Amino acid sequence: MLVAQELSYRIGNRYLLQPLNLVVQPGERVALLGANGAGKSTLLSCISGDVSHYGGQIWMASHDLARCPRAYRAQHLAVMPQKVELAFPFTAHQVVLMGRAPHGDEKTTRHWQQQVMELTQVWHLRDRSYSRLSGGEQQRVQLARVLLQIWDATSDQADGEYYLLLDECTSALDPAHQHTVMNAVSQLCQHRIGILAVMHDVALAASWADRVMLLKDGRMIASGSVDLLTSSALMEQCYDLPEELAWQYARSNQNWLDSRRA
Amino acid sequence: MAMAEVSVIEVAAVEARSARVALPSWRTPWVIVPLLLAALLLMALLALMQGPVPLSLDHVMQSLWHGMLGEPVQGPNDWVIRELRLPRVLLALLVGAGLAVAGVATQGVFRNPLADPGLIGASSGAALAAVAVIVLKDTWLQEWSQLTGPLALPVAAFLGGLAVTVLMYRLGTWGGQTHIATLLLAGVAINVLAGAATGVLTYMADDQQLRTMTFWSMGSLAYGKWDEIQVLGLLIGLPMLLCLRLARPLNALLMGENVANHLGFDVQHTKCWLLGMAALMVGAGVAVAGMIGFIGLVVPHLLRLMIGPDHRLLLPLSALAGGLLLLVADTLARTWMPPSDLPVGLMMALIGGPVFLLLLMQQVRGKG
Repeated sequence: MLVAQELSYRIGNRYLLQPLNLVVQPGERVALLGANGAGKSTLLSCISGDVSHYGGQIWMASHDLARCPRAYRAQHLAVMPQKVELAFPFTAHQVVLMGRAPHGDEKTTRHWQQQVMELTQVWHLRDRSYSRLSGGEQQRVQLARVLLQIWDATSDQADGEYYLLLDECTSALDPAHQHTVMNAVSQLCQHRIGILAVMHDVALAASWADRVMLLKDGRMIASGSVDLLTSSALMEQCYDLPEELAWQYARSNQNWLDSRRA
Repeated sequence: MAMAEVSVIEVAAVEARSARVALPSWRTPWVIVPLLLAALLLMALLALMQGPVPLSLDHVMQSLWHGMLGEPVQGPNDWVIRELRLPRVLLALLVGAGLAVAGVATQGVFRNPLADPGLIGASSGAALAAVAVIVLKDTWLQEWSQLTGPLALPVAAFLGGLAVTVLMYRLGTWGGQTHIATLLLAGVAINVLAGAATGVLTYMADDQQLRTMTFWSMGSLAYGKWDEIQVLGLLIGLPMLLCLRLARPLNALLMGENVANHLGFDVQHTKCWLLGMAALMVGAGVAVAGMIGFIGLVVPHLLRLMIGPDHRLLLPLSALAGGLLLLVADTLARTWMPPSDLPVGLMMALIGGPVFLLLLMQQVRGKG
């Protein structure tokens, strides 16, 4: 389990994140939702280790993330940032290859590299310069890199629990690619990889997540099954939507859920 | 007629495309490494033969053989090769390699192809300290020069470079993150300050001191003796080996500090080591050979165009190419207008300036 206990983060006296608890089970898809500035990305950067002076504790399986060795963390927890710009022009394949850096087995994992790049539909771009790819292509290449980082989970070498953090990883993708990518990510859950995804698009969350957590002003206002998204009152509260719009969103989320269950 | 024209254009297009695909084949390390090594060897032999006293290849080989066997120097020709030209060749290779690797390291840490050690102020810090020793060695810095004796200049230059690098790092880093824009701007400020302080010292200097300063600030390898080479071999060789070991984290750093952190690298630790080692190599180089620019800027840039940015290749190849480039520049400086010995720093600027402009143009026009 990936567990955050009484996790909080503040700069000076201002809390960006009020103390909250969070659990991601292996093989579970959890979407983190909220308006801009609600603290979603802050929460993610506490777990990913970008900021270290947070309050509370974060556990991955039986390891306290603040004290666990860097290598172990990198081998079991992969993070997909919003946007990665490259200072110098690596090829797409070289970027993906970097996902094996924590393991040091770039040469012996060729088949995995092809597998993840085909999964995110970038294998045909492998020799192209990363900097010249479109925003969407770059995101898919980065996704391939983070998948490769924890791809051990899909093999018989799996050891312990694996988790994936996604920070609005579909923001530059068209709807078709959004769903392809999220479906690809979902396949990981069969291998008991737990996924925590910051999502902007409520409809995409409704079509994908098992559980949702809603943040507002650094506070967790709701957490539970994805059915929460069909509550228009909650939509209204979370995003400060007018009643009519909130009702529209809730209905469209209901449609997504119905179509998933059909 | 029209049809024929079209097909000609098509054929040309296909040829152009296949040529572009075929291009990388000579860019593999299997071709470039032997080429560089061969060029280095050839250039070293040429440098040993050329000079005010031209010597044959036989002479050179004979002297080298004697030198390896440890025999005493026999005759003037033997002396010219073993005590004048060979140390100078080795000095050029060492200083060139050190400056190029230092350039790769700082450019990687700052994620900017223009982040040369000269830019973050390491070179001008080293230069200022050395100029201060030259001018003030009989007055304010008397104790320092008595304490360190003949090493006063090199040690001061190294300390100056290191001090500026540490200061720059402090200025540009807070909350565990390096802020590149601040750091680069602070580098500009430091360069201006060091330049002004050097200017003040120039006014305080007498004639003899001025001559030493000018010569030294244009860079020259003419003072390379075996003693200096031994010290330099250590001061440049060890940091270089350490940088080579940091190639992987340096690759990850190109995707940003957060990503490198997610991949399990200790980012702050890596950056500290790389910057410290770069300062050491630059300071040691400046101390012995004066200000030599452009190597740390041009060599990594050229190599990146050829083999890409993978530091596991880029670092060792930069060392080879940097040594080669400085050796070429120094040989030209020695032989262009004999018997005068032009400052190699000037020669590097003459070679490096146009190359750098060309690269900039290519970048701007989207070819780079």
